[in-house]
Amino acid sequence: MNSIASRFASTSASAAISRDEEENQVAASMWGSTGGFGNLGQVGIPSFEIPRVPDPTNFLRMHTDDRNDPSCRIKIQHGTTTLAFRFQGGIIVAVDSRATAGSYIASGTVKKVIEINKYLLGTMAGGAADCQYWETYLGIQCRLHELRNRERISVAAASKYLSNLVYGYKGMGLSMGTMIAGWDKTGPALFYVDSDGQRLKGDLFSVGSGSTFAYGVLDAGYRWDLSEEEAQELGRRAIYAAGHRDAFSGNTVNLYHVKEDGWKFIGNYDVTTLHYEGPGNVPGAVPGGYGYDVRTEGLHSRGAATVA
Amino acid sequence: MECSFGLVGKGYTLIASDTNSARSIVKMKNDEDKIKVLTPHLCMAYSGEAGDTVQFAEYVERNLRLHQIRHYTELRPPSSAAWIRRVLADSLRSRKPYQVNLLLGGYDTSDDTPHLYWIDYLGTMAKVPFAAHGYGAYFALSTLDRYHDPTADLEQGLETLKRCIEEVQKRLIVGLPKWNVKIIDQDGVRELEI
Amino acid sequence: MARRYDSRTTIFSPEGRLYQIEYAMEAISHAGTVLGILAKDGVVLAAEKKVTGKLLDLSGAKEGGYGGSGEKIFLLNSNVIGGVAGITADANSLVNYARTAAQRHLFSYNEDIPVEQLAQRLCNLKQGYTQFGGLRPFGVSILYAGFDPHYQFQLYHSDPSGNYSGWKATCIGANNGTAQSLLKQDYKDEITVEEAVGLAMKVMSKTMDSTTLGSEKLEFATLTLDATTGEPKAKIYRPAEVDALLEKHGLRKKDEDTEMKS
Repeated sequence: MNSIASRFASTSASAAISRDEEENQVAASMWGSTGGFGNLGQVGIPSFEIPRVPDPTNFLRMHTDDRNDPSCRIKIQHGTTTLAFRFQGGIIVAVDSRATAGSYIASGTVKKVIEINKYLLGTMAGGAADCQYWETYLGIQCRLHELRNRERISVAAASKYLSNLVYGYKGMGLSMGTMIAGWDKTGPALFYVDSDGQRLKGDLFSVGSGSTFAYGVLDAGYRWDLSEEEAQELGRRAIYAAGHRDAFSGNTVNLYHVKEDGWKFIGNYDVTTLHYEGPGNVPGAVPGGYGYDVRTEGLHSRGAATVA
Repeated sequence: MECSFGLVGKGYTLIASDTNSARSIVKMKNDEDKIKVLTPHLCMAYSGEAGDTVQFAEYVERNLRLHQIRHYTELRPPSSAAWIRRVLADSLRSRKPYQVNLLLGGYDTSDDTPHLYWIDYLGTMAKVPFAAHGYGAYFALSTLDRYHDPTADLEQGLETLKRCIEEVQKRLIVGLPKWNVKIIDQDGVRELEI
Repeated sequence: MARRYDSRTTIFSPEGRLYQIEYAMEAISHAGTVLGILAKDGVVLAAEKKVTGKLLDLSGAKEGGYGGSGEKIFLLNSNVIGGVAGITADANSLVNYARTAAQRHLFSYNEDIPVEQLAQRLCNLKQGYTQFGGLRPFGVSILYAGFDPHYQFQLYHSDPSGNYSGWKATCIGANNGTAQSLLKQDYKDEITVEEAVGLAMKVMSKTMDSTTLGSEKLEFATLTLDATTGEPKAKIYRPAEVDALLEKHGLRKKDEDTEMKS
């Protein structure tokens, strides 16, 4: 509401309102923070632009945390990279495995792909509990659909069920950014569903704080007629890229491939190992690390003369 | 940064909408159809809060279909617009209002007139010869003031619509490369290439 | 035997009948006649008033209101007039319901309620009383004469069971059988309002059992389109206008001592 309202409201009025809101929030954020480094900004040492408030970290968190305030202006899908894309040979689903609580890495072995049933996968971004609970619940409903109709639920229907469900909780604090991937009568199908209630059908999605990095690799390397090996390698590299650049993503890559006879788990790959040594002897991968060698070997011109 | 236009000409209504679907700073999709065909002679371009838009559009779509099934006749554009406005106005006073802005284009087959309604999430409704939602309004309304002609044939109408889209593409900082255009006339609703 | 199935509206008799509903319909066939004729450029309603008498104060019907005496013919909405036959008190309640329903439609859709939808609304209400216990059904049949852009001029009839149907010409109340066979004989598909008015007058004069025919026994109304605005225009005739109309068609009957010519 606020975003649309403020866009069309007269500037002076909306400015006045937002200033009021800020003052309230600042007042609240001062509690418990002035004892630490909260007054640094006021003392006058700052060497780069930060918000002129007593506790910039808390201030930023307030304005980026959509779990507590769905209407806040900056939305970040905290601490995750997930991706999925449709191609000639089915759907590739790849995710990282890091769970963070603030700057603390709570776990490096999280399963962010939820196996709804043999033909359906869900990915997890946002609130881990929300995703896990509702996607398991979705699995129950999908099974009931099967029992009642003697037919597997379509991916479109399953994702619509989930989106209608979370829409019913809109504004009540759910935080999910998920992709539902699967194979049904229509072939491979991929949907993006989030806790705003948005549901999109598409060929390629990435969700989470590292999604922008994943998109960078994905968009450059994506083609519909990718071979299965190439597609798996692309998914792996995209998650690696996000794990490398995004502080809230990393540890390992989990890779799945959805085909006509259901999904298949391809493997788990350590991001650090990928960086230095690569995925090892896997189809589609070239020997060598994804990142280390090109950054070191690439700096000198040894061997350049021999090319001719 | 969503944007939509509408205009009426001689015997037709045109509705255009961009095809982007964004979340935060990420463009999730660039071929989303944000114009819903509600009845054989009625179309609705929607924009606003993620989730609300599609839910609202489908709610309207299903209710108008139910009306047709119950009464064997489809609601005429003015009545549909009045009802949609009423739903939004009631919603605004509820716990969780729909935050959706609409352009409603229709063709009344009982008296052969094209209709265009501008409706916002507050329940404001205006019957207009041309309309725009989003930042496009700041660029295109002057263009439409200058070039719109209610007696224009389809070719001229499309020309005017193109001017608006091109102006937005030229001056708005965010590029809106792809557009979805629908026409509503006596033959019903069709999609047009632009 | 049948007594056992009489008392409740919602209980079927062993032959599968709902006696209370049939009794309600029976009550209507003794009520004042209401007759409707659909013409190509309008609709006509005529009704016989039963409540008469020298001491009845009719001054209210002469001035004010919409023209009728408020006994048989009512303006339901600007595009629909209704003629009622049956228990007057029930009819008043239904008329009020119809007017409210029409206004609710206007509120939601900003248009006059389509005639059939209005008939459906009342039928939904009436049907409820054939199914939910403890209450008496409405002892009323209604003729709806109306206009909407979907089907132009229309004439509907609804009965106490909640059934409704569309008609070119029909009649409810006392002697409706006679009136309907007269209508069947004389109705033409291309009939104009002018002719329909004459036909209504003629049929009424033949079927009414009273010896006098004048504004104290007759109500009359037409629904046409306004020539300038194209909007529906309902006209419920005032007593003087009814008398003038009878005079024009040579049907005005005086008291018994006056000679009857037709």
